[in-house]
Amino acid sequence: MFHNSSQRKYWIFKSEDEVEHMRCKANHKFRNKILESGKPGVSESMFLERHEEDVLFRHYERRLLDFCNAFKPAMPKSVVGTAIMYFRRFYLNNSIMEYHPRIIMLTCAYLSCKVDEFNVSSTQFVGNLLQESPAGQERVLEQILEYELLLIQQLNFHLVVHNPYRPMEGLLIDLKTRYPTLESPESLRKSADDFLTQATMTDAGLLFPPSQIALTAVLNSASRAGLSMESYLTECMGLREDKETLSKMYDSMRRMKTLLKKYELPKSEEVNPYKQRLERIHAEFATSSNKRKRGYEEDGHVAKEPRLAEEEWTDEDLL
Amino acid sequence: MVQNKLVNHAGCIFPLPHWMMEQTCAHTFYSAKQQIKRRSYLIPNNQLIHCPWRRGHLCTEMDDQGCPRCKTTKYRNPSLKLMVNVCGHTLCENCVEMLFVRGSGNCVQCDTPLRKSNFRVQLFEDPTVDKEVEIRKKVLKIYNKRDFDFPSLREYNDYLEQVEDIVYNLTNNIDVENTKLRMEQYQRENRDLIQKNKATLTREQEELEELLLQEQQGNEQRRLEVLQEEQRQLQAKRKSKQALLDELEQSQLPATILLAQHKVRAAQLETQIEQQKQAVKPTNLFSTGIHMRQTVSLLPVAKIEEVLYHYKPLQVETYGPPVPELEQLGRLGYLNHVRAAMPQDTAGGYTSALACHRAVQDAFSGLFPSKG
Repeated sequence: MFHNSSQRKYWIFKSEDEVEHMRCKANHKFRNKILESGKPGVSESMFLERHEEDVLFRHYERRLLDFCNAFKPAMPKSVVGTAIMYFRRFYLNNSIMEYHPRIIMLTCAYLSCKVDEFNVSSTQFVGNLLQESPAGQERVLEQILEYELLLIQQLNFHLVVHNPYRPMEGLLIDLKTRYPTLESPESLRKSADDFLTQATMTDAGLLFPPSQIALTAVLNSASRAGLSMESYLTECMGLREDKETLSKMYDSMRRMKTLLKKYELPKSEEVNPYKQRLERIHAEFATSSNKRKRGYEEDGHVAKEPRLAEEEWTDEDLL
Repeated sequence: MVQNKLVNHAGCIFPLPHWMMEQTCAHTFYSAKQQIKRRSYLIPNNQLIHCPWRRGHLCTEMDDQGCPRCKTTKYRNPSLKLMVNVCGHTLCENCVEMLFVRGSGNCVQCDTPLRKSNFRVQLFEDPTVDKEVEIRKKVLKIYNKRDFDFPSLREYNDYLEQVEDIVYNLTNNIDVENTKLRMEQYQRENRDLIQKNKATLTREQEELEELLLQEQQGNEQRRLEVLQEEQRQLQAKRKSKQALLDELEQSQLPATILLAQHKVRAAQLETQIEQQKQAVKPTNLFSTGIHMRQTVSLLPVAKIEEVLYHYKPLQVETYGPPVPELEQLGRLGYLNHVRAAMPQDTAGGYTSALACHRAVQDAFSGLFPSKG
């Protein structure tokens, strides 16, 4: 359950600023590392700025969502949510300049299939990369397996992710049982679902407990339908006396809504130049990053066959 | 007949498994091919040859057992008796008689000076095993420490390992001089302890023997008693028969009546014997050896005063509104809003309340923002 989970303990942050600060730190860490390595011809202008990184991040996150939605057999929502949460957690402490999001996103999806007990074989998984030849799929699979352990390590082995989907079901059950004032709770489901989908694409999962996100989704859906559910909070949740908690809850709901409103999908003309620069950075510093990601294998814990040279496969291969 | 056998360093003999045959033979060939060509003579007289590739791994091929001097084999002379001396080489009984007429002489094969009195009947198929047993006996007389003489298991194991090394070396004539020196040194260093252990060992031995003797005596006595009892019964029967004959001779009564009387008496005697048999002699010993009516201390066991465990119900902070209990869900009407469990689901113990409870728990867990 969420209240004693690693998610509550380690992966819920106080404010948007704290999350942003961590990402900046990751960005700086990578810059410093490259600058310190003393490679010739390195200049500050080569690197991606933080906001540019963010654009690319949102772009790849969208691709991850599309990949999951097009996945055959159809992926349950919680698997998708977990994959996206992994992706977000991974890039809290790592820069996309260091690890290419293209492969990390697939690794996240692959890992979440395993963790959330959505049973697909690895060949079946890469079989969903429709643009790839069988040999290409094989290569991708090899890379996924190579990055999988790194991903798990970077997630600090906290693999269980609590998604807001089950809390929403619980809330609907509770509404039907204890809140007869609301005539048809099922009618709220559609727009609440949309709300949750949008919320996965934001930092909401890193800032709020899943039950709060679910509640916000339901309340938001109700207010759109012109219904007020304040009495549910005061009567059924027992918050009539506890004005402080109530106001805090409203506050966090407001923050969540702003977060969702702020989100916009990056446009392709904006993405493309950044993408080229990202490719350049990876081509330039490939060797150093290669060495790094293998660093965790030096202990001898992980002994895999030496892999093939990293093949160049482009984003267009994915979908 | 050539038999392929494997002997490990502890002297156990295994038939050579088929899949190892080639490999082991290849090893033996390698070590011996300069001198001898024919396979059946590869290792005459059951000699062991060290595998040159793995120390301690012995390869051997054993001919049917036989005396190396007169070449008689068990096959040709089933009553052949093979003897072994300390060097581990065999001779048949006849050859021993002939060669050691004067009581001592040298081994035919290794020239070790031997005494006739030290010849033993070969108990094992492989004479080296006999040799090893002999050596082990000697070594263990000196190395008689026991596990509680050591502070840790590790040291005891090292000690055992050392003993095995010595036995192995002596059996296989490796580094004999040094090994013997080592043993002597050990004996000098540990003289006291050896003596002490020897004494305890003999004491233990004596106690054991005493126990055995007691048991034997008990058995003997019981046997005698049973025998006496049987004799007494036999006598009684004979007496009654004799009495019948006497009566038939002297009495005036008709024979049929006498016979009937005798029958009654005989039956009485039978029942008496039966009763005697059934009457178990009262013993004053329990089967565990404790005397009956022994005074056992009936004092209560000292009471241990401890603070009693006090159960406190588990309190879990869920940071949200209270969740209804699993058992209450039906009564509160929650279950009307979830899909009922199919009959096939319930086989595994699933009920719709479980899923419902989990969903509600998840909905309420961590719902309220943390205070402060």
